Amino acid sequence: MKFARVLLPLVLLLACSSEPRPRPPGVLFVSVEQQSAWVRNFNPLFAGAGARWPTRAGVYECMQIFSSAQGRWVPWLATQHAWTEDQKTLRFTLRENVRWSDGKPFTAEDVAFTFGLLKKHPALDAGGVWRFITDVKVEGPRAVAFTFSRVYLPGFADLAHQIIVPRHVWEHVADPVTFTNPEPVATGPFTQVTLFRNQVYELGRNPHYWMPGKPAVSALRFLAFPTNDQANMALVEGEVDWAGNFVPAVDRTFVSRDPVHHHRWFPLYGSTVFLYPNTTRPPMDDVRVRKALSMALDRARLVEVAMYGYTRPADATALNDAYTAWKDPEVAKDSWTHHDLARANQLLDEVGLVRGADGLRRLPDGKPFAVDLEVVSGWSDWVRAGQVVSRDLRKLGIAVQLKTYEFGTWFTRLQKGEFQLAISWSLDGPTPYNFYKWLLSPRTVRPVGEVAAANWHRLGDAEADELLIRFERAGTPEEQRALMSAVQRRFSALAPAIPLFPNPSWGESNSLRFTGFPTEQNPYARLAPHAEPDSLLVLTELTPRER
Amino acid sequence: MGRYILRRLGFYLIAAWASLTLNFVIPRLAPGDPAAAMFARFEGKVAPEAMGALKAAFGFTDAPLYAQYFTYLKHLVQGDLGMSYAYFPSQVTEVIGTGLMWTVALAGVAVIISFTLGSFLGVLAAWNRGGWLDSGLSPALAFLGAFPYFWLAMLALYLFGFVLGWFPLRHAYGHDMEPGLSFAFAADVARHAVLPAASIVVATLGGWMLGMRNTMVATLGTDSIRLAHARGLPPRQVMLRYAARNALLPNVTSFGMAVGFVLSGSLLTEIVFSYPGTGYLLILAVRNQDYPLMQGLFLVITLAVLAANFAVDLLCLWLDPRTRAHA
Repeated sequence: MKFARVLLPLVLLLACSSEPRPRPPGVLFVSVEQQSAWVRNFNPLFAGAGARWPTRAGVYECMQIFSSAQGRWVPWLATQHAWTEDQKTLRFTLRENVRWSDGKPFTAEDVAFTFGLLKKHPALDAGGVWRFITDVKVEGPRAVAFTFSRVYLPGFADLAHQIIVPRHVWEHVADPVTFTNPEPVATGPFTQVTLFRNQVYELGRNPHYWMPGKPAVSALRFLAFPTNDQANMALVEGEVDWAGNFVPAVDRTFVSRDPVHHHRWFPLYGSTVFLYPNTTRPPMDDVRVRKALSMALDRARLVEVAMYGYTRPADATALNDAYTAWKDPEVAKDSWTHHDLARANQLLDEVGLVRGADGLRRLPDGKPFAVDLEVVSGWSDWVRAGQVVSRDLRKLGIAVQLKTYEFGTWFTRLQKGEFQLAISWSLDGPTPYNFYKWLLSPRTVRPVGEVAAANWHRLGDAEADELLIRFERAGTPEEQRALMSAVQRRFSALAPAIPLFPNPSWGESNSLRFTGFPTEQNPYARLAPHAEPDSLLVLTELTPRER
Repeated sequence: MGRYILRRLGFYLIAAWASLTLNFVIPRLAPGDPAAAMFARFEGKVAPEAMGALKAAFGFTDAPLYAQYFTYLKHLVQGDLGMSYAYFPSQVTEVIGTGLMWTVALAGVAVIISFTLGSFLGVLAAWNRGGWLDSGLSPALAFLGAFPYFWLAMLALYLFGFVLGWFPLRHAYGHDMEPGLSFAFAADVARHAVLPAASIVVATLGGWMLGMRNTMVATLGTDSIRLAHARGLPPRQVMLRYAARNALLPNVTSFGMAVGFVLSGSLLTEIVFSYPGTGYLLILAVRNQDYPLMQGLFLVITLAVLAANFAVDLLCLWLDPRTRAHA
């Protein structure tokens, strides 16, 4: 075996040179996106497409940042805002001495130009701001005014969170939708692409950043990890300083390896996960049936089995922890989200869905009550949740069949209302307005067969909608809270969808080389790097231990 | 001879056209709406009003299928594979370009090593039938080849990468390496390639070896070999020039097929070792119903397989006089 005599020493020689490489000081290693190879794209305007993190909160910036951890708006490119008396005009005052990374000044012209781009290219208008504004006026180098077509206070969030791009660069871009923006000119803390290869890229500091002395981190480096397992291994090894991965049994696999520096914080700020019944299909059009389904679920076991105990059972408001201040404690106590199989059985008996000889309940036409529960194949937490849900519902005498679909197929069926039961996420924003609008408003209901962006269960309630419309005009916090309490009561009375649990917002940090990560004790932002725009708060706060 | 080659070339051109057409048809037969799948990835970050505009931006048209087909062919000829949905707004050529070279290098080298080494071992095993190579190594390799590849690769990664720390855990080269024509870079690339390449070799070696051994055993029983022995030729010459050359044909033919594996089948390798290749792109393309990217990848794979088969044809022509007689 001659080749062995040649090959083996060669292999050993190569292997010997594998001591860990020194890491450049001050360079923060981040793992957010899972990719096998990087593609150079820093287009911040086309929401959610393939732009590299942190294009939308780190390279570029918005006017104000809502910190859900603190429950308040943080001034950013704009220092102040004011509504006119009639609440039809909103004025932002922009920060002084902000410059683009090429040294040119940032002005109100840039803001007006950006919103002009959204009007010209509706594909960029992700928040749909031109539904409620009619004009953007420059009123001086640092003042910009938005004219509203109607009183719509929640619109503030969409305007404040809009990414602003420089006019002097983007006015020369032929098509801002398909522009990959390889050399970004921006106002954020990290704007210089210092390295870009298929498996690694690096963002350096903005030489003109407006916050004196910041950022303290000298560069961000991103390694390509195609799967969660690879990213988790790098995290455990200490190669990655900041990540937002789902880590199974995180305390044992990650935190316990270095309890002083390895840290995880999974606050329940993610969107609430629901069991959606298709309310266009009897008997799920009956609120008593929906409540019976809900009461049959053992949510405590569900979160233990499906979510490693990282979350808690949802209550009757369905609100996650980011909305704690909005929650009406009376509604939260409503019993239809509590596990009570006896009461659930009683409700179905009342409706007239009585059990046959085989223990299965019968529909009015005599057929057994059988439904399919649809989840995405490969989303292991939801698949496990689906298994628990179907087992619980079977105890109620309902023949539930768990079906898994490829993501695209599953989502098409969900959007078109072609499902019977499905597990899915919900939509949210700075206030619970969007959340309940998408759950209850008739304005969001589409006929079966037509794609709906949300309200997949297809239930609209005029009374809730009236409250929501009043909320759009409600100026004082007291009035807003009272209206939102009333909306919660409507939600709890109608049970349009069955809340399961709020999703944790995954975040892990390694403070061996950097300090200043948000924690439960210092919750200035969410630790999850995907929780935009919170990453702007974190990236400007982190400090390297060595330089 | 020349006419034979031209005829084969014509055949491959027709095969290429047929696969291009299938490439166009198959994704369109798949269920699901790519615009909806695309929209889904935003998880509510995009207002429904932007949906129509989005469709336009992605170039979804309701044009009749034949019109779409001609546009597709026209763009292909121009080398324009369109825009990827999953990596929007990047060009498909750019996305494929990020990984093609690495996949070709890694899987190509691994397949060539596996083929050469396996065939050679097969020759030796047949020549010394019943020896340790024949009764020990070939069942052992067949056993290893029967393991799920994913598991084998994970085990290699865990043992030699994570526990022993001999080899890097991921990527094609160290991320602080400057890619270029330097010895340090080449050594680094080689070090990163050892585990993924070795795992492919281990998983496929048994197949090549067994195939070669079996045809070799049959060849050794023929009169021509007996004649060669009788003429008193040195055994080494008989083994390699007479027996092995004839027995190699079926293996060479399957080598042409195995090239397809180079581009698509190394998918699992790339996932386990985070190798920045095209295999993972294919999964992503399927998951996102990214037709342009899927078509681009299939195009590259198809053309590579056809080219490899053409090369194999020429090689067979040289190896086997009988194919020449037909020409």
